[in-house]
Amino acid sequence: MEFNRRAFIKIAGLSILGLSVKPGWQVFSKIDTPEPSPDAETLAQRKWGMGIYLQKCWKDAGCRVCIDACHRIHNVPNLGTLKEEIKWVWTEPYEKVFPEHEFEVTEEDYRHKPVLLLCNQCDDPPCVRYCPTRATWKREDGIVMMDFHRCIGCRYCMAGCPYGSRSFNWRDPRPFIKNVNLEFPTRTRGVVEKCNFCVERLAQNKIPACVEACKEKALVFGDLKDPRSEIREALKFKTLYQRQPELGTKPKVYYIL
Amino acid sequence: MLDHRQKIIGEDTVLFEHIWKSGKGFYITVSILGALVLLGLYAYVTQYRTGLAVTGLSRQIFWGVYITNFVFFIGISHAGTFISAVLRILKAEWRRPISRLSELTTVFILMFGVGSVLIDLGRPDRMLYAIRYANFQSPLLWDVCSIATYLTVSSISLYLALIPDIAMLRDLGGKREWFYRILSLGWRGTEGQHHRLDKAIGFVSVLVIPVMITVHTVVSFVFAMTIQPLWHSAIFGPYFVVGAIFSGVASVIVVMAVLRKAYHLENYIKPIHFNNIGIFLMAMTLLWFYFTFAEYITIVYGNEPIHMAIFWSKISGKFAPLFWLHFVLCFIIPLPILAIRKYRTIRGTVIASISIILGMWLERFVIIVPTLTRQRMPVDGAYYIPTWVEWSILTGCISLFMLLYTLFTKVFPIVPVWEVREGREKAVTQVGERIRSYLPETGADQNLLSPGGRG
Repeated sequence: MEFNRRAFIKIAGLSILGLSVKPGWQVFSKIDTPEPSPDAETLAQRKWGMGIYLQKCWKDAGCRVCIDACHRIHNVPNLGTLKEEIKWVWTEPYEKVFPEHEFEVTEEDYRHKPVLLLCNQCDDPPCVRYCPTRATWKREDGIVMMDFHRCIGCRYCMAGCPYGSRSFNWRDPRPFIKNVNLEFPTRTRGVVEKCNFCVERLAQNKIPACVEACKEKALVFGDLKDPRSEIREALKFKTLYQRQPELGTKPKVYYIL
Repeated sequence: MLDHRQKIIGEDTVLFEHIWKSGKGFYITVSILGALVLLGLYAYVTQYRTGLAVTGLSRQIFWGVYITNFVFFIGISHAGTFISAVLRILKAEWRRPISRLSELTTVFILMFGVGSVLIDLGRPDRMLYAIRYANFQSPLLWDVCSIATYLTVSSISLYLALIPDIAMLRDLGGKREWFYRILSLGWRGTEGQHHRLDKAIGFVSVLVIPVMITVHTVVSFVFAMTIQPLWHSAIFGPYFVVGAIFSGVASVIVVMAVLRKAYHLENYIKPIHFNNIGIFLMAMTLLWFYFTFAEYITIVYGNEPIHMAIFWSKISGKFAPLFWLHFVLCFIIPLPILAIRKYRTIRGTVIASISIILGMWLERFVIIVPTLTRQRMPVDGAYYIPTWVEWSILTGCISLFMLLYTLFTKVFPIVPVWEVREGREKAVTQVGERIRSYLPETGADQNLLSPGGRG
């Protein structure tokens, strides 16, 4: 084959073009390695769940110990406005959370009691279906995970969550964190976040921070698959509420009356 | 030389004039639009640097103007296809001068539909993750696929019908001849080429209609697939398609009126066009009302507290002014104008259309926002007032659309010259023959003469 200048330029050009496909692709879709997940089979042996004793929780009015504990270790910023609020655990009045259990004859003071809310870690989580990039997914032990490095910030999961459990970083949250916990990642602006059932603490065989922090022992946590676990004992023969069970999301947070 | 030019241009000088002549009006328009585009750009840069905090969006109402724009712009894009493809298939002769301007509306506004979603992203730098880590369970991915298909098909459709006109411009010579030479793909206007072009356009016209219906159906699915009150509705697919054609056709009327005035196309775009599309728009007005009625009566009769809370916030609550304004703009104003022959003039249809366009933007807004104020639980601090950033970006998008449109008319004729000529030279006899074939006197075999052919 005759190899003149023209052919050389052609081949050189094509080679450069060919070689630049992969780096180009990488530049435009910055590679993030996904978090390594422990052995799926070991995880699948468990199913984490939480129980909340409403009466015990109401003993100390205005108590925020569990909320503060959670927000502190997870670097949840305090932006100071309702508009940009970020929360993993919070409370709403009983009458709003359980309107189906709210009757004309319900005691007046009962109505305004705070009910602790967090991500329900649904067994059939709608948010996972909506996410276009699989930035949120259900782990084998039932925890609904969130990858802050893959989230594109479309907020479709927020639209899909019927419990309002997700918050969005409208601006860079880092200046609004009082003491940064270096053991947990901070977020950038433009991503969604929510309660993760303290997955990082479970990996160290610790119970979630909110459960640990509660002095009244109003929160119980454990493996729902194990019939002798603390949580299964706590749920036995009790009147249990779940938030909107009719939606078929199968929440794993139970309210014990 | 002059003879040669005259032969190509023929009686249609005015169709070429807007390419060559740029008056004072053109420069003023371009400067104003350019300034508004810069304003939008500035707003976006502000948002990119600070984050979405500069918008009025909040934890509760996290979708607002941008998502409204997304649905609205993609809705507008339905017009082009409708006017050009459907009328082409129906062999409506009067569509010839307006087919390109409507297709162009489709292609350009569609880009802004896509753009609006990207503007809404918290991390636009990661937008390609949606392809790289695609989750096809997500309705957003369905949107990506169907909108990409629609953009491709409608661009091809626009381009195919441009080829003969590009060849004309090439033959006229001048500085840009090389450009037209490349784009004309060696078009010489032979019988065989015309035959193939007709076949291709016919094929694309048929293909684009189901694609169009898919697009707005899956846009509605973004909302309908969630379990939020007043979004989770089976009627949303067809309802959004109807609304899309409704607002899109209205936009075409406005575009027609503007181009007719600006480029002196009075002899080509005639009152009959406004009248015909006006009648169709009236039908769409009624259809839109029917769907709206069906949607709300189901909710009211069911009387579920969660749905009713949002319903009342629209009817008599804090969204009532917007809700009733949208109803007036979409129905009360346009219906009588379009229904009464006396008012169905150019001015009348344009007024009705502007009213519909504004109303349909508001409709999208009152579908999206009220549901977010209280999903299944009333939430505190759920208010939403769009900021200057959102309004500037909306203005910027619309201005950039108009600017692109204006620049297009500086390069290509906006009325398809060859189609108008084909109508003038061939269609008159063809239509006559076709009508004769409908008559009882004609033999049965003659009825089968031109199935699928474009009359």
